[in-house]
Amino acid sequence: MKESKAPSLGRTPAQKFFDKWQGLFYLIPWIIGFVVFKAIPFGQSLYYSFTDMNFFNGIHEYGVMNYIEAFTDAKITKALITTFKYAFVTVPLKLIFALFIAYILNFKIACVNLFRTVYYIPSILGGSVAIAVLWKAVFRDDGLVNTIIRAVTFGNAQGPSWLSDPNYALWIICFLRIWQFGSAMVLFLAALKGVPADLYEAATIDGAGKWKQFFSITVPMITPIIFYNLVTQICQAFQEFNGPFIITNGGPRNSTTLISILVYNYAFKSNQMGMASALAWIMFVIVCILTIIAFTSQKKWVYYSDER
Amino acid sequence: MSKAISRRDFLKVTGAVGAAGLLAACGGSSNSTAASSTASSAAAAESVAGLSTDPVTLTMSWWGGESRHNAYQDAIKAFSAEHSNITVNPTFAAWSGWEDTMSTKFAGGVAEDVCQINWNWLYNYSGNGQTFIDLNSVTDYLDLTQWDDAKLGACNVANAQQCVPISMTGRIFYWNMTTFNKAGITEVPKTLDDLMNAGKTFKEKLGDDYYPLHLGAYDRMILMVFYLESKYGKDWADPTTSTLNYTADEIAEGIDFIKSLVDGHVIMPLPTYYGANGDGATHQSNEWITGKIAGIFEWDSAASKYQDALDEDNKAGFTVGEEIKFGDYNGGFSKVSMGMAITKTCKNPAEAATLIEYLWNGDGAAIMGSECGVPASKAGLATAQAAGKINDLVAEANDKVMSFVSCQLDPLFESSDLKATGTGVYQEVFDTVDYDNASGADVVDTLLDGMSAVGYNV
Amino acid sequence: MGMKASNAIATFFKYFVLILVGLIMIYPLLWMVSATFKDNSEIFAGIGLWIKNPTLEGYRNALNNFGGSINILQAMLNTYSYVLPKVICTVVSSCIAAYGFGRFDFPGRKILFSIMLATLFLPQVVLNVPQFLLYTKFGWVNSPFYLAIWVHCAFATETYFVYQLVQFMRNVPRDLDEAAAIDGCNSFQTLYKVIVPMLMPALVSCALFQFMWSCNDFMGPLLYVQTPAKYPMSLFVKLSMDGDTGFAWNRILALSLISILPQLIVFFCAQDQFVEGISAGAVKG
Repeated sequence: MKESKAPSLGRTPAQKFFDKWQGLFYLIPWIIGFVVFKAIPFGQSLYYSFTDMNFFNGIHEYGVMNYIEAFTDAKITKALITTFKYAFVTVPLKLIFALFIAYILNFKIACVNLFRTVYYIPSILGGSVAIAVLWKAVFRDDGLVNTIIRAVTFGNAQGPSWLSDPNYALWIICFLRIWQFGSAMVLFLAALKGVPADLYEAATIDGAGKWKQFFSITVPMITPIIFYNLVTQICQAFQEFNGPFIITNGGPRNSTTLISILVYNYAFKSNQMGMASALAWIMFVIVCILTIIAFTSQKKWVYYSDER
Repeated sequence: MSKAISRRDFLKVTGAVGAAGLLAACGGSSNSTAASSTASSAAAAESVAGLSTDPVTLTMSWWGGESRHNAYQDAIKAFSAEHSNITVNPTFAAWSGWEDTMSTKFAGGVAEDVCQINWNWLYNYSGNGQTFIDLNSVTDYLDLTQWDDAKLGACNVANAQQCVPISMTGRIFYWNMTTFNKAGITEVPKTLDDLMNAGKTFKEKLGDDYYPLHLGAYDRMILMVFYLESKYGKDWADPTTSTLNYTADEIAEGIDFIKSLVDGHVIMPLPTYYGANGDGATHQSNEWITGKIAGIFEWDSAASKYQDALDEDNKAGFTVGEEIKFGDYNGGFSKVSMGMAITKTCKNPAEAATLIEYLWNGDGAAIMGSECGVPASKAGLATAQAAGKINDLVAEANDKVMSFVSCQLDPLFESSDLKATGTGVYQEVFDTVDYDNASGADVVDTLLDGMSAVGYNV
Repeated sequence: MGMKASNAIATFFKYFVLILVGLIMIYPLLWMVSATFKDNSEIFAGIGLWIKNPTLEGYRNALNNFGGSINILQAMLNTYSYVLPKVICTVVSSCIAAYGFGRFDFPGRKILFSIMLATLFLPQVVLNVPQFLLYTKFGWVNSPFYLAIWVHCAFATETYFVYQLVQFMRNVPRDLDEAAAIDGCNSFQTLYKVIVPMLMPALVSCALFQFMWSCNDFMGPLLYVQTPAKYPMSLFVKLSMDGDTGFAWNRILALSLISILPQLIVFFCAQDQFVEGISAGAVKG
């Protein structure tokens, strides 16, 4: 990002110094907040990850044993793989769905306020008791989904046993999070409103159809928000906890045991803070790598208006 | 594995006197060791500062449902009326998330003065006696003789009386006789044969959807231990050293027993249950509510929860069953369902002990009733009974359990790595049996590995 | 096909999708409403909306208080007494921090930005205990003003929102800042005269998300609020669960429903702000 040149002409050295550093001035609250509220707990958890920390028995051993165990224990490696599966299914589907709906809602639509609110309802319900009960009712053997499957196939196909079949259970969690696309949709809506109307007018005059406009104008103009949603959704997906926690508790047969469920169990159920921290830091590194890849790629496809 | 070793170390430290009261073998009931250990630690414990006449504020915490919240608060009000200089500030919530909060507070040394605790918290959070005080230091204010030595002994960890048991609990069968009657069975099952016949009859008369009994993975584990203890007459594991008393072959036999219940249509296969309910609790399942599952094997304190859940047609048929003797011995275990402890950070242990005395030995017991199970304190039980505050169902179930069971529970049995729903070892074992049609011999190693990882000597 | 016909088809398609998706979205809420009138056995019998034996017990019991110390109204007030400061602090501090990151170039900016982003990546679970110990030291636990829950937000610790605003800010052309500078604005004046109005939709969505998430937060209050009289809705809803005696789903669901009503209303009212906030012509001209 290039600093603006215009106002810096003919300034005194003191002013130039101020120009150079004034950005930092706006970051003072954040720096204080980071040092006080984040740095210490972060450092502590990193330290714990190299110990057998247990808050009630202290530390008896130092080393990388937690990390070694994490990559050799079958349960943990399975959870890592499950987490990747979950993230790679949920993130793209959720973003595509949210963008698609936001795009439709951006047209002149009757009762648009009502629609927007309705679409946001699942996100408000979040991880509440009601969702846990409802989701089980929807996916049980004779639940809504299987009833519909039977109806549209005139009784020829029987849906899978979603809640008990390890091959399908992860989908329930994926569907839950895709269904709660409200936040991503809201951000897309805000971004879509920022696309100048005259661009569309020009394109319409040139005879470009709606789909062409969508891919050649809309999408490029909102890439910063697509990028933001992508990064934060990846981050959320890898930390996903509530979905499996309230609906399946990691089962059946560990098919929905995401890594965060293990972190939680180690931290709170068996007091193995060291192991919990090690798993958390493994996740940290994974998300970091994915984010770095995303940031390197953004030069190729993300368009920022403030760049020249 | 590093953790297993450190766990074992801490057990060596804590176990030595920790469960001295539990040494008595299955079937026996002598507890002289416990008496002497309690007495000796009483002599060793230093006494605390006396009651203050200045205003004192105590904090207190518990978990539970609405009726328990109300009972505790009423009891506290009555307590403050009697001790006008003591103010009690309570904090309470539902169980979900509660242990996480409490463990965080214990770790931070900021837990409440008086805490309602789970039995295994003594081992998890105060294995070296670092979190709770030795109640022998407050015997001037709290009458420990109201509890049997065996019950006190179970709460003696790291040579300290870390809590008093509020109530004792064990597992028993409950039957929905409305469904049993529909199948033409008029008496509750009393033997294994009765059970197997019920399975057959249910299948023939009522159809594939009806089962006389449902057991989740943890319930199956408990019933399996029950069966083995009943057959071989020895504790599952030594409570002091956590040495497993059973061989792999014997355990495989126990698992095969559970498998025979599944095969005999006595209990519902786990995949069938999950398919309809996920990991949902039995009393919330449609199958229980409508009588398709006609029996459970549950804690004695859970009676009303299961009865209340039934629909109108089935409610009347809810019956506390009989314990079943699977072999030559009685088998089965009882355990401390919850306890009451004073934290080391409490500034007024004398007043805290006075509060506990009031709640479980004194007039407070008349208000608490069976809200936390049938009181384990003799004086408390008498007071609660006199006030007519003991729920009949709970009392009946508790009576039956306590007069039957003969074994001791070891503290590692409830380790969350083993019993957790979804990710625990017990779950893994019994899921494998049902999903893969595995036999006891196939899965016994999974169980033993999991047990040794949490500190058992196998 | 004529222009008109294809338009009609497009319109039909739009509404068809919107309504179909809308039904899937709203069904749970409708189910929840109907379930508040059902008894336990009926709730688990299926997921239809029809109520066989309607009962008002759920709502009647929802109004119960617990030992006289807390009732539903008080719980609502409690919730908003920390949610509002939290929202305000988050929006103001995140906006300032985003301005620092998004509009200035100084040595070390990239490193600081990476550090900030990295704070997103560590799961909260492992931070709970260290943070709890810290707040205990500060004396913020069980503070009557809920300090442990919202004060940190004044220091831009909610990275999601800082990053979100940075991204939105990058779509605001720099010409505007420069024009403001030429008009004699200093950087702070530029922030609140130019950037803030331009960012209004993003700021509103920040406020909205923080509002929703804070209202639903359960672990935070469970750890940091210990006086029953100060319990917020998220704790109050769950107070009656887990008993060994009767447990009524309709009551839990009625409470949940009442607790999300304010959120529904806020969303319905605030949405115009974030979608219509920009007068596009004036800005991009």
